[in-house]
Amino acid sequence: MEAALPISAVAKSTRKQAAPVAAAAPSVSLPLRFVVTGLLSLFVGAGWLISRPDLLTTYHYNQFIIALTHLFVLGWLCSTVMGAMYQLVPVALETKLYSERLAKWQFVIHLVAFVGMVWMFRKWDMKQVGHFGTGMAIGVGLFVYNLTRTLLRVPKWNVVATAIASALVWLSLTVIAGLSIAAAKCSYESAEGLATADGVRQIVSGLRAVGAFMSHFDALNAMHAHAHLGVVGFFTMLVVGVSYKLVPMFTLGEIQSRRRANLSVWLLNAGLLGSVISILLRSQFKFVFALVIIAALAIYGWELAAIVRARRRSALDWGVKSFLTAVAMLAPLSLLAAVLAWPRLPLNPFTGQLENLYGFLGLIGFVTFAIIGMLHKIIPFLVWFHTYSPHVGKAQLPALADLYSERVQVASFWTWQAGLVVTCAGILAEHAALARGGALLLAASLALFAVNIGKILSHIVRPVLKPFPAPASK
Amino acid sequence: MTDTTLTETAALDALRQVIDPEIGCNIVDLGMVYSVQINGGCVRVIMTLTTPGCPMSESIAAGVQNALLALEPVTDAQVELTFDPPWHPAMMTEAGRAMTGARF
Repeated sequence: MEAALPISAVAKSTRKQAAPVAAAAPSVSLPLRFVVTGLLSLFVGAGWLISRPDLLTTYHYNQFIIALTHLFVLGWLCSTVMGAMYQLVPVALETKLYSERLAKWQFVIHLVAFVGMVWMFRKWDMKQVGHFGTGMAIGVGLFVYNLTRTLLRVPKWNVVATAIASALVWLSLTVIAGLSIAAAKCSYESAEGLATADGVRQIVSGLRAVGAFMSHFDALNAMHAHAHLGVVGFFTMLVVGVSYKLVPMFTLGEIQSRRRANLSVWLLNAGLLGSVISILLRSQFKFVFALVIIAALAIYGWELAAIVRARRRSALDWGVKSFLTAVAMLAPLSLLAAVLAWPRLPLNPFTGQLENLYGFLGLIGFVTFAIIGMLHKIIPFLVWFHTYSPHVGKAQLPALADLYSERVQVASFWTWQAGLVVTCAGILAEHAALARGGALLLAASLALFAVNIGKILSHIVRPVLKPFPAPASK
Repeated sequence: MTDTTLTETAALDALRQVIDPEIGCNIVDLGMVYSVQINGGCVRVIMTLTTPGCPMSESIAAGVQNALLALEPVTDAQVELTFDPPWHPAMMTEAGRAMTGARF
C-alpha cells in the first residue's frame, strides 16, 4: 500500500537510485571549540578597543594596532571561520572531512600560536612573533592539508569548491607573507656563533635571506599586501563562495547564473593577484587591479541579488539579513578602495584615516558582521544537533529559530549599525572619544549577541522537550 | 478490540511529528516524503532532504524511524533517502507553504 502524497507520482516514477551516503560532518564539539575561542577573542578585542580608541584615530603602523588587528583576525575571524569550515565544507560539498584528529591538533596549535603572536606583537618582539608565527603556519598547514584532502573527495566540483580552494591558496600565501615580513624585522647576529653544519644555522641563514629579500620592498607596502591577501583572498573569497551555497539554502532559492557566479570568483582571483603584486611594487597598476576586484564584487552582488529576488521563502530571517547587510558594506568599501588605490592620492593624515576606515570597515563592518549573521544559523544548528538529535520523532522539539530571541537579535543588529556609523565618524574626525562611543555601541551589540548565544547554549543543559499533542498509540 | 491495521494517513500523521528544524516545518508538508510503503508491521519510507549532504540527514532519518516505531503495529521502519528527484519548494503542500511563507 502506498500513500497518496502530492508529489508521489513524480517520486514513484523517477526514483531509481539510492541516496548517497549522508555527509558526515565532524562531531559538534570540534567547530564549537573554534567558535567559542573566536567569540572570546571578539569580546576581548572589543574591550581593548574601548580602552584604546586612539588606536583607530592615529596611523595604523604601531605595535598596539597590529596586535589588536591580529587578535581580531587570528583570534576571532580565523578561529571562527576555521571551525565553521570544518563543519560547512563537508556539508556544502557533500563529502566527509578528511581528518577530525588533525583538526583537533590544529586547534591546540592555533590557540597557542595566536595568543603568543598577539602578546608578542604587543611587546613588539618580532623574533618571538616569528616563533609563534611559525606555530601558526604549522596550524594553517594542517588546516589547508585537511581541507585540500577533503576537497579532493568532492564528487561534483562547483563554484563553491573553486572559491574554497582559492581561499586556501590565498591563506597559505598570507601566512608566508606574514612570516617573511617578520623575518625582515629580525636581526641574525646569533647565527654567527653557530657551527656551520648546525641545522639551526641553516634555518637562520634561510630566514636572513628571506629578510634580505623583503628589504627590497617598502615595509608598509608589504604589510598592506599581506593584509589584502588575508582579508580579500581568504575571508572575502570565502564569503563569496560559501554564500553561493548558504544563501540559496536559507532562502529556499537557487543560483540564477552559474556563469556569473564562476566569473565573480575567477575575476576576484585575477584582481587580487594583480593587486598584491602592484601594492608590493607600489605600481600605478594598483588602481586597475582594484577596479578588477570591484568588478568581481559587483558581479557577485548582482548574482546574490538575483538569488535573493528569486527566493521561495518570502520572509528573510535576521541572520540572513545581517549577512546581506554585511555584504552591502562592500559598496562603500569598494569606493574607498578605488580612492585609496588612486595613483595621485596625496599622502597626508586624512589619507591615513581613510586607510584606517578602510581596514575597520573591512574587518568589522563586512567580515565580522557577515560571520555574526551566519553564526545565528551555525551555533543554533550545532547546539540543536547535539541536544535534540536523539529525540527527533519522539518528542515535540523547538525549531532552530526558537533557540534564541529574535527581539534581542534585532536590537543587536541596530545597535551594531549605530556603532559602525559612530566609530566611522570618530575615525574620520580623528576623534578618540567619538570612536570610543562607537566602540561602546559595538560592544553593547555584542553583549546582546552574547545574551542570545547564552540562550542557545542553555539548551545543552536545559533542553526543551514537550510531548506530542496527540501521542501515537503504542 | 483495537484495530491494529496501519493506515497511510496514520503513518503520515506520525511523520508530521518530524520537523526540519531550520525551516521549522514538518517533513510531510515540506514535501520531503516521496512515498510510504506499508506491509504489515514493516514500513518503508522513501524521502528526500532539502539539500544533498544536509547535516540533519541522520537526525531526520532516525526521527522518521522513531515516529513510525511508535505506531501500532509497526515493528520495522526503513528509511531510504533519495535525491532523485531533488527537493524543490514547489513540492510543499499548501499547509507547508503557509507555515514557511514560501511563495511561487
